[in-house]
Order: sequence, then structure tokens, then C-alpha cells
Amino acid sequence: MNNSYEYDASFLGLLSLIKYLLKGKIKPYNIIKDDYQVDLFTNIIKVKVTKDEKVMDFFVSRFGSQTMHYVYYVFLSSYPNKEIVIYYYLLNYLKYGPKVIYKRDLKCVRKVLELNKKVGNEAHKLKGFVRFRELKSGILYAEINPDNDILELLAKHFMNRLKNEYWVIKDVRRKIICIYDTKKIYVTEEDNLKIIDEVSKNEIMFKDMWQDFYHTIAIKMRKNDRCRLNFMPKKYWPYIVEMEDER
Amino acid sequence: MELKEKLNILADSAKYDASCSSSGSMRKGEIGSAHISGICHSFSADGRCISLLKILLTNVCIFDCKYCLNRRSNNIKRAMFTPEEICTITLNFYKRNYIEGLFLSSGIIKSPDYTMEQIIKTVELLRYKYHFGGYIHAKAIPGANMYLLKKLGSLVDRMSANVELPTEDGLKLLAPDKSSDKVSKIMQYVKNSQNKNFVPAGQSTQMIIGASRETDLDIMQKAEDMYQNYKLKRVFYSAYIPVNQDKCLPSLITPPLKRENRLYETDWLLRYYGFKVSDLLDDDNPNLNILVDPKASWALKHLDEFPKEINKASYQDLLRVPGIGVKSAKRIIKSRQYFRLEFKDLKRMGVVLKRSKYFITCNGKFDLNKEFLKKEFIEANLVLGEKANSSSNIYQLELFHE
Ligand code: SF4
Repeated sequence: MNNSYEYDASFLGLLSLIKYLLKGKIKPYNIIKDDYQVDLFTNIIKVKVTKDEKVMDFFVSRFGSQTMHYVYYVFLSSYPNKEIVIYYYLLNYLKYGPKVIYKRDLKCVRKVLELNKKVGNEAHKLKGFVRFRELKSGILYAEINPDNDILELLAKHFMNRLKNEYWVIKDVRRKIICIYDTKKIYVTEEDNLKIIDEVSKNEIMFKDMWQDFYHTIAIKMRKNDRCRLNFMPKKYWPYIVEMEDER
Repeated sequence: MELKEKLNILADSAKYDASCSSSGSMRKGEIGSAHISGICHSFSADGRCISLLKILLTNVCIFDCKYCLNRRSNNIKRAMFTPEEICTITLNFYKRNYIEGLFLSSGIIKSPDYTMEQIIKTVELLRYKYHFGGYIHAKAIPGANMYLLKKLGSLVDRMSANVELPTEDGLKLLAPDKSSDKVSKIMQYVKNSQNKNFVPAGQSTQMIIGASRETDLDIMQKAEDMYQNYKLKRVFYSAYIPVNQDKCLPSLITPPLKRENRLYETDWLLRYYGFKVSDLLDDDNPNLNILVDPKASWALKHLDEFPKEINKASYQDLLRVPGIGVKSAKRIIKSRQYFRLEFKDLKRMGVVLKRSKYFITCNGKFDLNKEFLKKEFIEANLVLGEKANSSSNIYQLELFHE
């Protein structure tokens, strides 16, 4: 039988479980979320692990903050077997120490690097591509549909630059929203906030000016669709307001 | 005139300046902050990154540069923003995350000093009245008083003065009102004053490519000279877009984009790969090869210096191999401390074997039959390989560097 271990889908939950597995020298076949579809040959094991904030401190002191940064980005990715990648990466860290990240001959190391790049790139791209519209209430509102779970990374970025504004970002794929009230960030399920999606008086005017600017700034003799698509893939267009008439 | 129409006119007049980068600053304000590596917010139909609201304060100009849309002798619609208008657009675009900040340039209205004063007024409003902490790149106007330069430099993240043409002759012919001395004076001043409160993201400049007779050697020597003497952050090369008819100007059907691309590649080799202009160009070969990139072209001329052994070669030597970039060279150096590298490892490190295989060995072995190591064969393959790859262009490099 393949022994798969279940966790509660949270990062701290995963770390708690991995701590338990590493301590007991248990090699799992897979590590799965509680809603994961499994086949007949898989035996699901649920272990009661105490999940607390301290588990993070434990991991940082044992593996260093750089490693935990790598691991967290893997966790934010949409890769289906990310949990077992994290497990093997940490296991190999115990064997090789910090230099493990240079051991590209290990599959888990390559995966960690690849997923870090994917998540980092998407977060960076979206820092540019997020488009807020101003609602009647004065709140700035944006919708995103990213491949990876990067809402929190974005929120931290906008907390810095729009710190005196009220804003809401909704991840339409994961159905979660992030609310900022000029002091703190709250992440919650979308149903917990009713958004009255009526825009402010000025919104149409500035959107209009921006769309004009977007078309004006292009040099016709240099037109290069392939290059544009490369940098701004079509999947992001539905949420980028200047692409409205090209979608 | 409505604000919207002004914006259309003054963005249209500003778009031929190639610079739009927003990197190199860590400023913070009540609204807005800069991001150290810069952020592209959109990409226009020409594939260029849109990061800043790139506009002119006015397209009125007392000068008559032959290649410029805004020259005095052109009969076009003229407009001018008030400083408050620019603030309104900047802040509202910024709030919606359309832009990373402002790139403010201008035609020369009344006098260089007057123009500069208007630019300063605008930036002062943004910084002091609205506490804007986003990125600001402003043009320094050649010929303006030095105290104005000092004032502007303390407010912006980046400043630039365009040399436009690499030689004095070129300027005389196409921009008779301009002089390179005035531009050099600005660069010298910025270089001497630059610190984290004065033009923290450094200065840049631009040259127009293909409007005058200068060779690639002229252009790159000028660039090298400016990198060395004025510590420029960037030189931009902008393929000449024919906006005017003039007997002094070439009549182009398409802008020289390929040439522009080769110049950027050369620029890259100067800044990150330890090349000198004299390695790549000389009086007998004053122009770059359009068919292969400058590094491959150099390697083909120096086949006797190859192959390089991956497990031994120095960092500088690795950088000279076509198909090995800065990142992959660093990875090779790091990884080979832990294990001996094979060809299969190189791919994972981002090495483009298709290009590099003629120039390297791994543990003494080539990744191809030695009979293929003939110059003509290698050259033909590098040229072909490049065609297949033609969508990759300079803006790709742009994103991950600087
Ligand atoms: S100074 Fe020359 S390049 Fe600049 S706006 Fe005036 S005419 Fe154009």
C-alpha cells in the first residue's frame, strides 16, 4: 500500500506534518490536501499534529530563512505534487546543508528552482498588470486570475505604495479577496464581502485617457505582436483594461 | 483644449524616446514607492514596455532638429500642460496601477531656463504637495543654468540628456541648435553629484540610429566613452523613425531595427561581459555583422582561443562563449565546486548548447564530431540558429537586467 499523509491545506499545517514525518523518519508516498482525489492503492493516513505559530520558528532556525522562502514559494505554486517536493527538498537539506540548492542533479532541487521562478515571475508580472478601478465608495477594486496563489505577495506590495488608500483585490479563481483599510490587510473568502461594483464619476474619464495613451504611445512602424504577446500573455488580458477592445 | 486631447498630443510627441525603465530607486512616499528592479505595467503594440507616463510638458520648441516631429518648422498642433494637470494625470494613473511613475520631457519653450523651471515646478508639486514617492525620470535641458540642474536632481530618480548623434558633424547637420558640450556638462555635473538623494537611479542618454552617416564604431565608441567618463547607467539606441521629409535625412521605408538590436547586444557585452569596443569593431570593420550577434562574430574570428573546458575555464573565459550568459556562467562556477559538469547538466543551467557546442568541451570531450569544427560550418549554423530565434529581441533582455 502507498501511504499518503493528509494535511489541512495550510502552510503551517504542512510544516507541522513534515516536522512529524522527519522526526519519525517516515517516508511518505505522497502528501495531500484533505480534498485530494486518490486511487484505490493509496492508503490515507491522518495524523494529529499540533499546529502552532512556533512551527515556523522551528523551521527557520533549523533550515534558515532563505530555504523557507524557497519552500513558501513552492507552496504558493499550483503544482499538484508541491508538498512532496517540499518534503524531499527539506530531507536533502538535512543531508547536504545550504549548498543543496546548487545540486541541480537532484530532481526536487530542479523543481524547487523551477517553481520559485514561476511564482516569482508571475507575482512580478502582476505587480504591473493589476488594474484598479475606483468605485463610487472611493475604494480601489481589482480582479486577478493568476495561475499561482500570489494574492498575499501582491497585497504586501500594494500596502507599501497605496498605503493611504482603501483597496480590495479579488482572486477570481480561488474565490478569495484581500482587503486593505489603510492599516491592515485581511484575507477572506469572497462571500464575506459584498462589492457594489459601480464606478466613480472620474473613473470613466481616466480609463478613457489611459486607453488613448496606450494606443498613442505605440510606434506604428515598429509593430510587433509576437513580442507583445511574449511579455503580456493573452491569459492576463481579460483583467487589463487597456486591452478591452483587443480581447 | 480638453485634458484628454492635450494628453494625446503630448504623448504622441514623446514616444520616440526609447527609455521607459523604472529601476534603480528605492524611494518611498505617502502615495507611491519605487521598485528596485523596475516594473513594466503594460506592453504597447510595438512590444515595448510601458512603465512610465511618458509625456512632454509642451511640444512647442524653438529649436529645429531635422529628425524631430516637434521642430519649429513643422506645422503641427501644439499644446502645453500646466504643472497641476500633469499631477492630476500622474496621480490618477498611479492609483489605478497603470504606471510606475512619470517620465517628463519637453520641447524648449522660450529658453532652456524657462523650460527647466516649468519641469521643476511640476516635479516639486508632485513631491511636496502630493507626497508622491513613485518613480520620476526628467529630462535635463542642455544650456539651462546649473542651479536648476541641482534643484531638479534632488527631486527625481533619474535624469537624462540625450546626445542624439555620436559626432559633432552629425549634430551640425541635423541638430544645428544643439551642441555636445552642453550635454557633456550636464553629464559631468550629475556624475559628480550623484548619491542616494541626487538622481539615485543614475543618468541615461539616447542616440538615434540611422538618421546620419555614423558607423557602429562611432556610435559604440561614444557609448563606451560616456560609460567610462560619466558613469552612465544606460545608453539607449533608438532606430530612426522617419517622421519628417528633409534632404539631409535618409528616406527609409522601415526603421533599422536589426541594427538597433545589434547595438544593444554590443552595449550588453560592454557592460556585463568585459568586452571593449576595440575587441569588436575597428577602422577596417566599422560596422557590426547583421547576420550573427557580436559575441558569436567575435568568437568566429578567434577560433584559436577555443575550446574552453567547462570544468576549468575562468568566469571571464566562460562569458566569451556564445550561448553562455552571465547567469549560466555564474551557475557553472558555483555548481562545479560540488560536482563535475557534463553536457546534460549544462542545459539545466541555461546554456544554449546549440550555439556553444562548437566552443566548449566537458571533461575534455566535445559534444559533436570534430569534423564539424570548421569555421564556415559553424558560422552557417549560428546564422541559421538565430533566424529560428528571431522573436527574441532586446526587450527580453531588458526585463531581467539592469
Ligand atoms: S530640441 Fe530638437 S529634438 Fe528636442 S523637441 Fe526641440 S526640435 Fe525636437
